Amino acid sequence: MGFIQSIRSKILTVLLLGFAFCLNAAPSSATGKTLFTNNCGSCHAKNMKTAMTGPALAGVESRWSNKADLYGWIRNSQAMVKKGNPRAVEIFNQYNKSVMTAFPTLTDDDIASILLYINEAANPPAQGPTTQNVVVGEEPKSNSWFYLGIFGLLALLALGLASVISNLNKMAAAKDGVAYTDKTLWQKLTSKGMVSFLIFAGVILGGYTTVTRAVNLGRQQGYEPDQPIKFSHVTHAGLNKIDCQYCHDGARRSKHSVIPAANTCMNCHKAIKTGSKYGTAELTKIFASIGFDPTTNTYVSNYENLPQDSVKAIYTKWIGDKYKEATGLASLDDNGRNLVSDQWKNIVSSLTSELDNKVQGPIEWVKIHNLPDHAYFNHAQHVNVGKIACQTCHGDVQKMEVVKQHAPLSMGWCINCHRETEVKFKDNAYYASYAKLHEELKSGKRDKVTVSDIGGLECQKCHY
Amino acid sequence: MKKEVTNIWIGEQDLVHSEKFIEDSKHELSLLDSLGNPEVTNALGSNRRDFLKFLGFGLGAATVAAGCDIPIKKALPYVTKPDSIVPGIANYYASTFVQDGDVASILVKTRDGRPIKIEANDLAPSNYGRTSARAQASVLSLYDTNRFATPLKKEGKAFKAIKWEELDADVKAKLSSAGSIRILTNSVNSPSTKKAIADFAVKYPSTKVVSIDPTSYAALLDANQANFGKRAIPTYKFDQAEVIVSFNADFLGTWISPEKFAADYVKKRVVNAEAPKMSRHYQVESHMSLTGSNADNRILVKPSEQGSAIAFLYGAIVGGGTSMDLNEKAKKALNKVAAHLKENSGKSIVLTSSTNVAEQMMVNAINNTLGNYGSTMTMGTAVYNRQGDNKKYEELVGELNAGSVDVLIIYGANPAYTLGGTDAISKAKTKIAFGMSNDETINLCDYVATTPHYLESWGDAMVSDESLSLIQPTIAPLFSSRQAEESLLTWADAPVKNYYEYIKANWQATAFKSQGAFASFQSFWDNSLHNGVVALNSSSANPAFTNAPIDFNAITKPSKAALEITFFEPVSVGNGVYSTNPWLQEMANPVDRTVWGNYLSVPVSFDGVSAFDGFQGLKDGDLVEITLGGKKHTVPVIQQFGQHKGTVALALGYGRTVAGECGTGVGLDVNPYVKKVNGYPVYFSDAVQVSNSMGKEKEFSCVQYHHTYGVKDIDKETGKKINADEAATVFFDYFSGIKGFQGAITDRSIIYTTNISKLKGDLEVLQNKRKHAQHLNEQQIYGGHDDLYARGHNWGMHIDLNACIGCGSCTVACMSENNVPVVGKKEVSRHHEMTWLRIDRYYYGDVSNPSTVYQPMMCQHCDNAPCENVCPVNATSHSAEGLNQMTYNRCIGTRYCANNCPYKVRRFNWLDYTTADLFPGNSIKKFGEETYYGADNLTRMVLNPDVTVRSRGVIEKCSFCVQRIQEGKLMAKNEGRSLRDADVKTACQTACPTGAITFGDMNSKDVLSKKLKNPLNYIVLEEVNVRSSVQYTMKINNRDESLEA
Repeated sequence: MGFIQSIRSKILTVLLLGFAFCLNAAPSSATGKTLFTNNCGSCHAKNMKTAMTGPALAGVESRWSNKADLYGWIRNSQAMVKKGNPRAVEIFNQYNKSVMTAFPTLTDDDIASILLYINEAANPPAQGPTTQNVVVGEEPKSNSWFYLGIFGLLALLALGLASVISNLNKMAAAKDGVAYTDKTLWQKLTSKGMVSFLIFAGVILGGYTTVTRAVNLGRQQGYEPDQPIKFSHVTHAGLNKIDCQYCHDGARRSKHSVIPAANTCMNCHKAIKTGSKYGTAELTKIFASIGFDPTTNTYVSNYENLPQDSVKAIYTKWIGDKYKEATGLASLDDNGRNLVSDQWKNIVSSLTSELDNKVQGPIEWVKIHNLPDHAYFNHAQHVNVGKIACQTCHGDVQKMEVVKQHAPLSMGWCINCHRETEVKFKDNAYYASYAKLHEELKSGKRDKVTVSDIGGLECQKCHY
Repeated sequence: MKKEVTNIWIGEQDLVHSEKFIEDSKHELSLLDSLGNPEVTNALGSNRRDFLKFLGFGLGAATVAAGCDIPIKKALPYVTKPDSIVPGIANYYASTFVQDGDVASILVKTRDGRPIKIEANDLAPSNYGRTSARAQASVLSLYDTNRFATPLKKEGKAFKAIKWEELDADVKAKLSSAGSIRILTNSVNSPSTKKAIADFAVKYPSTKVVSIDPTSYAALLDANQANFGKRAIPTYKFDQAEVIVSFNADFLGTWISPEKFAADYVKKRVVNAEAPKMSRHYQVESHMSLTGSNADNRILVKPSEQGSAIAFLYGAIVGGGTSMDLNEKAKKALNKVAAHLKENSGKSIVLTSSTNVAEQMMVNAINNTLGNYGSTMTMGTAVYNRQGDNKKYEELVGELNAGSVDVLIIYGANPAYTLGGTDAISKAKTKIAFGMSNDETINLCDYVATTPHYLESWGDAMVSDESLSLIQPTIAPLFSSRQAEESLLTWADAPVKNYYEYIKANWQATAFKSQGAFASFQSFWDNSLHNGVVALNSSSANPAFTNAPIDFNAITKPSKAALEITFFEPVSVGNGVYSTNPWLQEMANPVDRTVWGNYLSVPVSFDGVSAFDGFQGLKDGDLVEITLGGKKHTVPVIQQFGQHKGTVALALGYGRTVAGECGTGVGLDVNPYVKKVNGYPVYFSDAVQVSNSMGKEKEFSCVQYHHTYGVKDIDKETGKKINADEAATVFFDYFSGIKGFQGAITDRSIIYTTNISKLKGDLEVLQNKRKHAQHLNEQQIYGGHDDLYARGHNWGMHIDLNACIGCGSCTVACMSENNVPVVGKKEVSRHHEMTWLRIDRYYYGDVSNPSTVYQPMMCQHCDNAPCENVCPVNATSHSAEGLNQMTYNRCIGTRYCANNCPYKVRRFNWLDYTTADLFPGNSIKKFGEETYYGADNLTRMVLNPDVTVRSRGVIEKCSFCVQRIQEGKLMAKNEGRSLRDADVKTACQTACPTGAITFGDMNSKDVLSKKLKNPLNYIVLEEVNVRSSVQYTMKINNRDESLEA
């Protein structure tokens, strides 16, 4: 069913889009979705309920007294602010005077479509109950079945036409009174035309596969490896709303966003000593890495050089004690002993490697986002100067139980963003030296300055 | 015989229009002879290239089809992250570079805990924070694979690793039973080290300390002892001197504190075109030193006449003395010099590097008579970075030979190499060495107490009475090492053994007491550590000059021998001290421009027309047999302009036998032929014979002949001088036979020179030429990109050739900053050196005694870049900020760009110099090392993580330090302010001790734009209309032509 539905929705989308663009037909939520994703999605949350750079959009129509104002606001918010529209000024101030991009090209129908989509997305049809905390990842929708279907249809059509031709030939032969013998299947398959077609198809297919594979070499979009600690971004960034840059504190000042050191974890986990989901199983790994004894609430002195048995004693005691506390038992039962030994084994395997057989020391996380060595990327430039939200490149990490590479991290992807992204030209005094561009902005010769306008597509911005 | 040449020249080959040279100059790079070379064929017996051809496609296709697994990469965060470290952000720590008397206050750039670059420390007073090439290269020796990993004990003939406890127990036993202990050091200018040695001597009272320098300064020190009662060196103020007379002292290259002197010196050399005024510098020498090449007038004397020359000047200024043989020309010249000196009493400096005390005392007397003490020189603020005492060393040798030394502790000195001390040292009963890696002397020792590199150490240094500086560790020790001071304190059972605590206590007791700025010691200490240097109050007056009697009979007698040889310290490796450093081995020696070894400098003499009779008909790269002290050696020859007839010269510091993989066996060791007179080594000899040519040196490596441009040739048809590369004529009309030159401009502007007296006229010539070129350049149909560059930044550079002394500091800094690989001698000889920044050396003027100009040459970042047009894959392109960008991962190695570059600044990775790729046949053993140099994890720690390591088959070139530009821009953006020129400084700029290089945004009104207004400015090859972004200044000398008459 799902497959047919998907095809149906695809076909529908295609048709609708076709209508929307070719005929400029009546507003529809599908058109709205496309428009929203392209224009609004980077600042407004897709669930319409949380505020990001821009406000949550659910019920936006009800908050504006008249439609014309709302439409005007969407097309050019700054003009409205300048005019002194009270609602406009209110939003502008509420969102730290961040300027909403102007969309002068949107037609009334376009805006109506977007609003339709917003309403639909804000009030989705009722769904079955979902497991708490865990967000089930959306199944990737692949287009290949759709294309395969079309291919099949076309093949059938071709076969049909071939048989029509063959019948017509037969009829023509009969009419002329010429004897006509059907070619056998084998003859058909080994005919010159067929063989050359197959070779042609083989070369095209082989070439296509080679090129796409070669292009994708080293890319790992969707990479979702198991980590030594089952750290949940859902719990930290999603539920507890810890700012990304609290832990990834390099992002605002360095090229690396930095995987937080264990002592950063300890800022909170000195107090929160068992996890909401895994209890002692995962959190103890951090204690064992840094040498914090949760029983006594102290750091173990000279932990670095402690024998492995003493390390084990500290943490198995802690795990056991917690088990006893939870079960109310005075001493460990078989279950408890198994639990302690399992958890300890897991801790050891997570914190050691072939190169490092000590539990103490850094946690070896698996690196997910790997840029090639010859590409230079700087987080501070994007996060601090460009004010790009982390989610733009990393996806909704706050919804990821296990972090997954969201973007392809390909050069085309980088370049495209540099083409489209507007430079925060007026907010940063650094850009004052670009006098010519400022003049052009003022005179209205250009409406925005993108990264590419100030050399963002040049090789040596990233390769040196 | 005087012969003026109107143009600049490189060497003999272009003066005589040598055919081979002209042919070579037409090719950007020499051809690889790898086909059939056994070294690069693989085990299958087939040629490597064929093998790769066949394998390449199959392998690529298979890889692609298999969709190979991406390796799992780990990311390890800190356990407890230090507050001061942000991964990806560089930290700078103030420290002090101290190595055998070379001292500089520096900043150490560390990235993620690894020191990767040395920078100048601007907070150091009196230019002691300027960096030399040696200081720049010192970071590489931290990651030397030849370093000792543990303390060692000699067992049989080899060293065996032992534990520190074992070493301490053994050494203490030897010390406590010793009747006489001697410590042999290099110049120690650290107050805390001196105190530690003194504390050691309290426990072991039989201890005596002897210091030596790699090249001797003892005569100077002893003369000052006699005249001032202070065994020290005066502070020279070259920025106050109108007249400088140097007798063979290479004060800009190697003598005492060259980079400080250079920084002072150029203040009087950079000319303001509106009010032209500069000092005059006379150099009396036989072989052209770096200092001599910068001098206005060179007075040529034989090395044995040096004493006579000093005596002659003494007679002319002080009066009396003695008269000895001296060539007439020199006498005449010195008379004029004397008159000039007298006119500038109190505003002149006379100095000599002589190792003869009488000669040094004469120079002191001359300075005293001229009233220079207290004005241009002062003993009030004495300098302590050279303290070697050869007399005491000879006494020690006596004791050693008598067998009366029980324990000899070697700390830094290498007398087995520099002073031929092998036999004597072997006679000490127990020999203990402090050292980082093996050398000739340590190799003789019984125990090695392994010491850390200075970047892993605590320490202090007092270079002069003016300031005290700190050494702080910038990385935890890489090996099991212990500081020498800590070892001494441990053996002496001192109460405080931790050297850090020891220094702190010492500073609290001394430096803190003598200052008034800080109330608490902690704040004083923190501030000192931050600045790296503390200024001391040193306004004490010049001590009175005592007219000590001069023993005129002791002055060197001129030799009657037909041939004499000078032994000189090379700017790069010193007297063997820096031989283990590949960056310095590959740095071209400034004057003769040779690398990896010493070349016999022979004089050239021009017949005035087109032929050279030269010295025994020897040419560059000839091999000769030299007989020194009765021993025969084969050495290659380099022809040296400005070398006195009847003299040859050979550099010290080569031919080391125990100097790791890089330094062992490079060149010829001439230290054994340095005679000692009264215990002082004399760096010349008349016991020398040179044979005629015995063949050619296969790996002749003089980089001045590489990457030449603007070479002149004589057109066979017209007999006119034209540019050699234009001899490739093109037919405009084949049928009518009309021919023309590509470009059609025959006068290429590379260097403009003038004498200060002719400045006005020559400046007009320069400006007219520029106007003409600019007029021609305007006649083009292409619009250029000026509108683009006017948008934001437009990067440019200014190089003041009057400030450039050619020291080479920038070239090493560039290698360090940009991960430029070392290629080794063989590759250099094939023109394959990878340096992005080279210093071209040109001679001009009188052929028999020419003037010299140095020109740092790197990518000129042309706005109308010829390299960009010819790249078939767009690997080199132009940025909106005026940068000529090279994208390595796009480059397919056609080398069209290098061929089309008029400045010849593009470098091709012929082989896998960085040992980064998969095929071992592509790599090359650069100096006979066991494993490929740079392939190990230790050496790679020095790499700058912000710069790509290039692989084989791609072109690379100067990027204007684009990583620094981007970093500077980001800093300004993060701080929300506009960019200042000070935010972006290229590596060559910060390394330059004299501030010759200025980089910046040509659109801003900051530092660079002021320099660009200098009327002396010109653009190299302006007439070819490539619109370069680098401007140079006309070179001005203050030569007194009447001296040459």
